[in-house]
Amino acid sequence: MASIKGLQSSTESDQQPIGDNTSTPVVSLKRITKTFPGGIVALDNVSLEVYRGEIVALLGENGAGKSTLVKIVYGVYTPDKGRVYVDGKPVFFKNPRDAIRKGIVMVSQVPQLIERLTVAENFLLSLESVGLASPFTLTSRISKFIERESEKYGIPVNPEAKVWSLTYTQKQMAEILRAIVIGARVLILDEALTYLPVIERRKFTKFLLEFKSHGGTVILITHKIPEALESSDRIVVLRRGKIVATLGKEEADAETIRRHMFGEESKRLTEALPRSKPGKRKIIVVERLRVLDDYGREAVRGVSLSVFRGEVVGIAGIVGNGQSELVEAIAGLRRAVDGRIVIDDVDVTNKGAKAVRSIGVGIIPDHPLRLGVSADNTIVENIAALFSKQLVIDWTEMRRLAGHVIKKLNVKASSEDDPVKTLSGGNIMKIIIGRELLYAKKALVAYNPTRALDEVSAAAVRGAIKSRAINEGLAVLFASEDLDEVLELSDRVYVINTGQLYGPFDLDTTSRDEIEKYMVM
Amino acid sequence: MIAGILFYATILALMGRNPVEVIYALARSFVSPGIVKDFLILSMLGYALYVSFKGALFNIGGEGQFYIAAIGVIAITLSLMPWSPGQSTAKTILVIVLAVFVATLLGGLWGLLAGVFRGYAGIDEVPVTLLLNYVAYYTVDYLVYSIFRGRHTYGYIRTDEIPEAYRLNYYLPPRTSSGEGLLGSLSSLAYQFLREFALYYAWVIGLAVVALVVYFVMYRTRLGLLIRIHGSNSDYLRAIGVDVCRVAVATLALSGSLVGFTASLYVLGYLGRLPYPVEESTANYGYIAILVAWLAVLEYKLIPLAAYIVAALRDAGINLQVAQLGGTEQTFISIGLLLTVFTVVKVFTEYRIEVRHSG
Repeated sequence: MASIKGLQSSTESDQQPIGDNTSTPVVSLKRITKTFPGGIVALDNVSLEVYRGEIVALLGENGAGKSTLVKIVYGVYTPDKGRVYVDGKPVFFKNPRDAIRKGIVMVSQVPQLIERLTVAENFLLSLESVGLASPFTLTSRISKFIERESEKYGIPVNPEAKVWSLTYTQKQMAEILRAIVIGARVLILDEALTYLPVIERRKFTKFLLEFKSHGGTVILITHKIPEALESSDRIVVLRRGKIVATLGKEEADAETIRRHMFGEESKRLTEALPRSKPGKRKIIVVERLRVLDDYGREAVRGVSLSVFRGEVVGIAGIVGNGQSELVEAIAGLRRAVDGRIVIDDVDVTNKGAKAVRSIGVGIIPDHPLRLGVSADNTIVENIAALFSKQLVIDWTEMRRLAGHVIKKLNVKASSEDDPVKTLSGGNIMKIIIGRELLYAKKALVAYNPTRALDEVSAAAVRGAIKSRAINEGLAVLFASEDLDEVLELSDRVYVINTGQLYGPFDLDTTSRDEIEKYMVM
Repeated sequence: MIAGILFYATILALMGRNPVEVIYALARSFVSPGIVKDFLILSMLGYALYVSFKGALFNIGGEGQFYIAAIGVIAITLSLMPWSPGQSTAKTILVIVLAVFVATLLGGLWGLLAGVFRGYAGIDEVPVTLLLNYVAYYTVDYLVYSIFRGRHTYGYIRTDEIPEAYRLNYYLPPRTSSGEGLLGSLSSLAYQFLREFALYYAWVIGLAVVALVVYFVMYRTRLGLLIRIHGSNSDYLRAIGVDVCRVAVATLALSGSLVGFTASLYVLGYLGRLPYPVEESTANYGYIAILVAWLAVLEYKLIPLAAYIVAALRDAGINLQVAQLGGTEQTFISIGLLLTVFTVVKVFTEYRIEVRHSG
């Protein structure tokens, strides 16, 4: 594969030869069991074989064990029982670097590139860590190398660009190219393509097929069934830590997969959400808002919008087009440089989160682990911090609220005293959503409200949001990178692209394709 | 801990000292009545610093808060409300309560000052609290040298003695006869411990008060919850609309006030006057308490145990010096080793070693 002048690529030096025929799996997991503290069995005696030149999709509901499985392959976790084999030989990875040296590279949903560095500098660090470059390698050489590789694989990447200046799609492209140049022959994509619009995702799918035709292997984790059906040769369904189905391309269809993923609960997915009947009063009003991002660039450029009582307004857009900054500014977590934000007739522009909260606004933020919870504290403590206003906390009442959230959103926790950090990503998200829905009296401002949730949980959350809007007049403004979600949940839709807002679009008269066009233009 | 002691013995042997003698001296300190005083003070201070460390605010200004508070006690008991013969018991009690209150307030203000720098000016609390220690030292030195300089000090620069009526000690008479044999020695030792606890009875009450206040604030009140979350993720507090600056200020003020409270009991129960220069003549309790809080790995229940261990090791250091078996460096070596071993042990209790054969 790749080589830099004077340096050998990993495949030419220390790596094992690629499995020479399809009868030897490239990666094989035998009887893997993994239990987490608190006795949660994430994987229960799981065996899986992945072959050369194959795209395998792993599907499953929240907490099914998908992420745990690939993290074991990638050396992040070690299994309690069972073994991992690469090219038929047992391996013991202490960390991802060991896995990378064997040609296994993971790309996740959140780009792992260092924002302040250029693409070339990021690549240099990775090449260095696998011994393909030295600390003295000039970045200009790396740049030329990237240009060459980028052309070869048809992945456009500008090596000189600072990572923070790239769009989400460009960052993910750079991530995948980086994986290739450090010698990936097994590419693990952990929800890496899930939030790209169909048009952008198709470009990646084309590349994946190309990669496959050259003998590459892909393990694709997604909770989106269409994404799995689009490109994979085999679909493996996990449920409660066990493989419950392995379906070939010809026998897999959305309905069958859903049934395996959720059992009886899958029936609930077919229920469409009713439209709300918005009131006459505007609850959220944003006028000519301008907001800067962390690097001082104008991320929100003169955005104006309004949300009526009882209305759900969705903002569609690709990651990194200003929606995160817009939501943060409305929530009082980021300063606006110009414009006005009025909630329930109160001007809250640059008044901070306290002013916004005191009106009765629920906030589901971007960066849930940073702004949504305190992971070291327990579920009930996280809830008490928001709800308890008295000097002495009424823990009985707080426990009742926590119990309510756990029950209502079916959070998998042993008790309300569980530290949040012991929960899975999806369950942490459920705690945040449940708490904010309980807190919101006038309005809910959300970013990717069902991020990390499986289809059934996501549908339940969307149902709960809609019902609060219809029955209690809650004004809801949310941004989501999941266009399906925006289309399903919203009464009116805006599109955000490079900080500018387009719309509103009436969903009865606007097609999905038209909305996507605004997202990628 | 045993591993730590063995490690220590090896180092002693390498230094050419007799490990048995030194370790015997060390062990004796763990059952010495002489450690009661340090144990009580360090437990209180350990709890005071526990509050700020739990909030990830590194209050290393215990020293400054201690002495600023101490000068408050001197001001009340010697200048503002001096004792006069025939003074009523009610007034005596009032003066003591007032002295404790003022000291608590001053310690709190000193902490609050660091909190304001941290919260509103964004200046890290570590250098601020450290520098405030020196501001406190020199302020107290100046006050001792000038307005609080005593008249009955035989030429020494220091404050007068706090009147006996304000002192918080209770003297049990020494035991005249103790029984024979092991039982006799044990009963005699127990009586000596009792005498020490009686002597510092106010500190026993003080420790109970501090421990209860800290428990109540940290685990029953909203402020305590906010402090604990501040220690883990202050961004979350911001997102739910909490004024993070105020939490930082309140945390350091609370921590400082508990230090001040302890300082008042120390002055009234032991020191009795402030010397000049103040920083060279005391035990660096404000710094040693940092060790206590961390040795307890910020576990509420372990603070007294950590204070006991540190008190014993300090006592051993002094004994070793007297017995010419080494000096204070022995104390630091032993404390250091203890901490090292403790850290290693902690890693092993949280992680597990697994040996696997590949291939």
